[in-house]
Amino acid sequence: MDIEEWKSQIKRGTLEFCILQMIDGQSLYGYEIISRLEVWPILAARESTIYPLLRRLLKEGFLSSYWQETTEGLPPRKYYTITEHGRAYLKAMSCEWENLLAAVSAVKDTPCGRTKGEMIDGSDTD
Amino acid sequence: MDPILTEYLNSVDRYLKPLPACERADIIKEIQSEMLELSGAQNLSSSQILERLGEPKALAQAYLGDAITATERFSWKKCRALIAFYSLAGFGGLFVLPFLSVLSITLMVTAVIAPLAGLTKFAGAVLGFETPYVVLQIGSYSPSPIAALPISLIMGLLLFLAGKGMWNAMLQYIHFVGKTHKTIV
Repeated sequence: MDIEEWKSQIKRGTLEFCILQMIDGQSLYGYEIISRLEVWPILAARESTIYPLLRRLLKEGFLSSYWQETTEGLPPRKYYTITEHGRAYLKAMSCEWENLLAAVSAVKDTPCGRTKGEMIDGSDTD
Repeated sequence: MDPILTEYLNSVDRYLKPLPACERADIIKEIQSEMLELSGAQNLSSSQILERLGEPKALAQAYLGDAITATERFSWKKCRALIAFYSLAGFGGLFVLPFLSVLSITLMVTAVIAPLAGLTKFAGAVLGFETPYVVLQIGSYSPSPIAALPISLIMGLLLFLAGKGMWNAMLQYIHFVGKTHKTIV
């Protein structure tokens, strides 16, 4: 089993969650998001991952964007903000995320999977 | 901007061809914005920037995403649907469209000529000149020159409506073919 492949699978859904959380607090532009994620190697992603992901989130109505001219000869930047729809989506994601963490730790703590009935059900929706 | 970077952007733009022009322009503008950010604030060289962004084709394909891979994949079902579509559309182009358009235009022209002819016959009867070159005949019935005017006016109107109907049918047919094409491709 290639650990890198597993990591990229994990990353796929997690990045969306992280980006929405980052943008929830403030408007950010693409490169800012990419460079902030670079702080954590497990979350670091290339332009070819982040930009198309941002575009998809825009199309689905979770984000909105606007171009802003900057001063001092810097290039215009495309800023992303979260929409109401995005905020609701993020809230649901947070809830599922907590479910997942609880379920994973419960699985780890359950010896040999014999106590099926006691396991935490993390898949109540969808 | 460094010509190498401009060339890179042009290349990405070419690979993004399946997308609408305004979306492409926005994507390119955003990548260009990051290039300027990297060269300005981060002091990266053009080659470092290109290394970071990766192959233009790979970057463009990431934008095109599943949309293109889903439609580019070959399928017999789609192939059959396309053959059926183009056979029908080809038939339409050969027969249906010329038939409808020629018929429509002809009906429109006759819709103008008929009342003019009726008017001529009527004027001839009123002002007293012979009009043997204008003959109004419906089956074996030949109305009087006075009656020719209202009859020809009604006929003109009917011909016009028929022509308009054919024209609308043609537009609907074109619209239908276009819509079907969109759902298949």
